[in-house]
Amino acid sequence: MTSEVPIPVTALTRGTIPQRVFQRDPANAPTEDIREKLFELEAQGEWIVQRVPDDTIEAMTKYGRTKRIPRQFTWHHKSCGQCGHIPGYSTSIFWLHRQLGMEYYDPTDQTSCTAWNYYASATSNAAAQAAVAVRNFAAAYETGYFPMIHCGTSYGHYKETREQLVHHPELRKQVRDIMAKLGKPLVIPEEIVHYSEWVHAMRFEIAKRRVYDVSNITVTVHPACHYYKLVAEDAIYDPDLYGGQRTAVITAVVEALGAKVADYSTWFDCCGFGFRHILVQRDFTRSFATLRKIERMKEEANPDVTLTHDTGCVTTLDKSQFAARAHGRNVGIPVLSEAQFAALAMGAHPYRVCQLHWHSVDYRPLLEKMGIDWQARWAEFQEDIERLRRGEMQFLTWEDADAK
Amino acid sequence: MPSDTVLIIGGGPAGLYAARSVADLGAPVMLVEKREHLGGTPVTANYASFTPHLEDAETSMQRMVNEVSNDPQIEILLQTRVTAGGGGPGDFAVTLASRSGETRELSVGSIIVATGFDHFDPGRETQMYGYYEYEDVLTLVDAEKMLKAKQFVRPSTGEPPKRVCFIQCVGSRDRRLGNEYCSKVCCGVATKEAIEIKELLPDAKVFIFYIDMRMYGFWEDQLYWKAQEEHKVNFIRGIVTEVLRRGDSLVIKGEDTTMGRPMEIPMDVVILSVGMVPSAGTIEIAKVLNLPRERHGFLETVGAPLDTVTTPVPGIFVAGAAAGPKDIEDSISMAGTAAMKAVSIVRRQLRQAATTVSAGGGGE
Amino acid sequence: MVTQTAKHSHVADVPYEEKERLFTQVTEDIRFHDYLKGCYECGICVAACPSARFYDFSPRKITQAVAREDIDLVYEQMNEDVWNCSQCFSCDRCPRGNSPGGLITILREVAVKNGLHSAKEALEGYSRIVYKIMSTGTQVSPDMLQPDAFPDWGPEVKDVSDNLDLWRRAIPPETHHTTESAWVVDEKTLTELYLIWHMTGVLDMIKEIDEGLHMILQDVMEEALEEKGFSV
Repeated sequence: MTSEVPIPVTALTRGTIPQRVFQRDPANAPTEDIREKLFELEAQGEWIVQRVPDDTIEAMTKYGRTKRIPRQFTWHHKSCGQCGHIPGYSTSIFWLHRQLGMEYYDPTDQTSCTAWNYYASATSNAAAQAAVAVRNFAAAYETGYFPMIHCGTSYGHYKETREQLVHHPELRKQVRDIMAKLGKPLVIPEEIVHYSEWVHAMRFEIAKRRVYDVSNITVTVHPACHYYKLVAEDAIYDPDLYGGQRTAVITAVVEALGAKVADYSTWFDCCGFGFRHILVQRDFTRSFATLRKIERMKEEANPDVTLTHDTGCVTTLDKSQFAARAHGRNVGIPVLSEAQFAALAMGAHPYRVCQLHWHSVDYRPLLEKMGIDWQARWAEFQEDIERLRRGEMQFLTWEDADAK
Repeated sequence: MPSDTVLIIGGGPAGLYAARSVADLGAPVMLVEKREHLGGTPVTANYASFTPHLEDAETSMQRMVNEVSNDPQIEILLQTRVTAGGGGPGDFAVTLASRSGETRELSVGSIIVATGFDHFDPGRETQMYGYYEYEDVLTLVDAEKMLKAKQFVRPSTGEPPKRVCFIQCVGSRDRRLGNEYCSKVCCGVATKEAIEIKELLPDAKVFIFYIDMRMYGFWEDQLYWKAQEEHKVNFIRGIVTEVLRRGDSLVIKGEDTTMGRPMEIPMDVVILSVGMVPSAGTIEIAKVLNLPRERHGFLETVGAPLDTVTTPVPGIFVAGAAAGPKDIEDSISMAGTAAMKAVSIVRRQLRQAATTVSAGGGGE
Repeated sequence: MVTQTAKHSHVADVPYEEKERLFTQVTEDIRFHDYLKGCYECGICVAACPSARFYDFSPRKITQAVAREDIDLVYEQMNEDVWNCSQCFSCDRCPRGNSPGGLITILREVAVKNGLHSAKEALEGYSRIVYKIMSTGTQVSPDMLQPDAFPDWGPEVKDVSDNLDLWRRAIPPETHHTTESAWVVDEKTLTELYLIWHMTGVLDMIKEIDEGLHMILQDVMEEALEEKGFSV
């Protein structure tokens, strides 16, 4: 039953749905806009909604709604894993703000979101998690600066907490009473903003300040589960990237910097962090990260670096490769946050700012390919360490970080 | 004097059958169609054949079109929309607008809405199947177009595929998406297409990934058993979460729920069994004629299950997928019922008017 | 060390009423109806799940068991399966709007609250982490990067621990100049955190899981709270 004259392939390809890009229709989004509920509850006297400061950039979320990302006057909600084990990650986020002249505040009146522990051990409950969240929000509100969340899990967890507080009046009451005992108002921010959304918003400013050519750098992107799978409607999408069907928050930054993004077949897979597993049952984490992510990236894309935007993902992908290599697996891709990569491209010191000496996988081939003289930079950093050791200075300062 | 004309909005299978039926019942028909041709979705979307008997769609639709053409009882206006409507049974005042901008006012006795459905767009933001990224990811409709040409190839290479799969329920049965209904026909259509592909490419491996196979009535053996027994189509219970590319193949990630384990399988072509959504025309006409839409977004009917065609607005009836997911048999049946009711109400109005006149101005 | 047989017989010996009591705690959680609507066993959750590829673990089976109110099976899963979940929430893709991962969170909380032996076993070796987050307000600290704790992470761990003090002082943000917590946390902030743990019953949960840890935490927190004029 085949035809005599073969029909040209172009005639046979899709044409039923004529446009190649889906036109989003936020008025008919499948989910409620939670921000409307926040304001309704404020009008009823349930809580205070902290407004996004005026200086913002707008971004599109999954259903075409607009999210306002504050450029500055942000209260930085830090990440345990970043500050503890990947200090170049948080340092790079701050450095980018400083380079762009964006005012921010780095608080000591901040606790962990405690979600890592919660997801690992369940030694907590909905009320405690919500109370921890709103205590941090109140602390930010008291300074007048707007919360900006560093960790992907904090971000996803706070999005979930926001849903629970909106839909459960009994939870709101319990948490309000706790805040009252602490002498704090019940506050919820108008938007929950992840730092990678700020990097995304500022990507063109960052690209303008690029000093290294990264057009020869191939990047694979790993998006964090907790960024886009928890409360999926609140994540950044771009109709021009991935046909508008995958979160574009990192990819857009990489493209703005001029590097090449290579796709791979396990893009949507979790890294395998596991919260509890990465600490006490690492065979799972290691196997998953190696077999499902790193080996696939290496085989299919052979990237110079893999970039992600979450603490757990950087930790998992970076730390899982050493043991895997010892077993002869096909691994060896340096892992950075997009903030560190953007900072490097802008000329940040790989050690004073990006703190790459805390990373496991060898990043030096990447730096060489970017044209960064890591030997000279390491020598400078070793000098800094000597000065610290000799007591000539107590700490490395921001001025030291940028000294030539 | 009440109008004796029935206005039929939409020239697809339901509208065409309604037009023929109304004319056969002796009432004049005004058939309005926004596209340049009659035949509706089976023609626009290049359907190869109808489910389940595989009769040629083009021939069937041509026959339906012939039935209404050149009939002095039936006035057909193509490239025309209804832009305003008011009034009641016997006396609806409608405005028609053609694409060139000309308008025309007329009075009709009753209205049948047959504005059909649109296919769900799997390239939209909620889906992870890469429809706009990968050439070899198709919809049922893309596959129909090839099958109509008696061909089935991988778009990326032009070669016949070795491994083809269907993913059921795309755009249907999904709370995250807001389409909380089953689109009724996609299981039958996918199985039909699977049979057609196997007839063209007997050596190809064809899979259907499903949640439930909706095989109503005689579809059970006409399609389901036939596909399994005669054509060795593989039905695997478990739906797919995403489609990506690995080397030369697409790769689908799902669970084989029977075996209770995750699966990741290479495929040459993936066909998304897209469901029905209310068409743009249906949404438009609902606004124009103040027809309420029920909770899934389709036109509301009253009196279900014993009445499938009466809308809450007296004198306006619906036939076909404008009222919800329907197969072609449903659409034809509804069209006949709607025609009967549309003509009845016109006749009733005319009788009442005649009674009033003869009784000297009294009456209802 | 509890043997496999012993663990299973522990599960089998539990009276039905007890399993039912735990099941009721699950269904009475305020989030229960957010996380469970209905399940048509499409398998998308398993398809997306990283743990399903490594363990004999199925978010679909857990959701089904809860939906069916299969008291015995849920109890078994609460003891054996729930700790395999990696809490990534890839399963939130569920087209019915369920969150199998969320259900598992509730199941785990019930296990912990009731001091189930399996929960204690799962969290063996994890106490120091709980201590760190509860008492310092940060989850991990630089001084936890010791080669004997993370031997598989590579030689850089040893470099970090050998140079910890100097390397921490060589980080520009002032809040990072600490080795015992991830960043510098105010005392007042910690007081507020301790109050939260007390007022929400978290300390009671920890008592069920690890009495020794609970005692230490209690001492640390009570001392700090009393200093600030709070009594619990």
